[in-house]
Amino acid sequence: METILQFLAFLLIVSGTLLSLIGVIGFIRLPDVYTRLHATGKVSVFGLVFLLLAADILTPLATWKALLLIFFVLAASPTVSHAISSAAYRAGIPMVGKRDDLKGKMELGKGG
Amino acid sequence: MKSLLDVTIWIVLIAHLLMALAAAWRVWRGENSISRLAGLDLASTLTLAILVIISIIRANIIYIDVAIAAAALSYISTIALAKYISDHKVF
Repeated sequence: METILQFLAFLLIVSGTLLSLIGVIGFIRLPDVYTRLHATGKVSVFGLVFLLLAADILTPLATWKALLLIFFVLAASPTVSHAISSAAYRAGIPMVGKRDDLKGKMELGKGG
Repeated sequence: MKSLLDVTIWIVLIAHLLMALAAAWRVWRGENSISRLAGLDLASTLTLAILVIISIIRANIIYIDVAIAAAALSYISTIALAKYISDHKVF
């Protein structure tokens, strides 16, 4: 049982690190702010949550605190991404793609 | 299995430190302020990951408490900075 749990933690740690690596490579290579925010979601939702599940298995007494931090990260990370991209659109940062669904629907510089 | 896990967790710690260095490079050389803010958010998330890894290495729960406090602080500061950059006021 102990070995099975350690192997599960090993798998969680390795897959979480690889997904974080994908997110950071996307953050460096992608062209503008909006696509970069799409890449950084992987780091918090997959990398950090998988590491916290591994800590949940390996560290004694960590169960409820790790679950609390997982809940907080899953609630906070999309909120932060939405706030940053909304601020980027209202600050007038140009985007690479041509399609703009918000054109004319949001008053620039007025808050929202 | 135990020794493999010990070696892996150190490699993972070094990989996360290098990824945090890449995010800090984006904060240092970003093309605009929102890009730097996204880099700051990524760096704070990787700081949480590094704290969780240290908690696994030392087998100590206290680092997860530190990570909870750091998560709350980085959440509030990132929201406030985004609001300040777009509207030039916080509230």
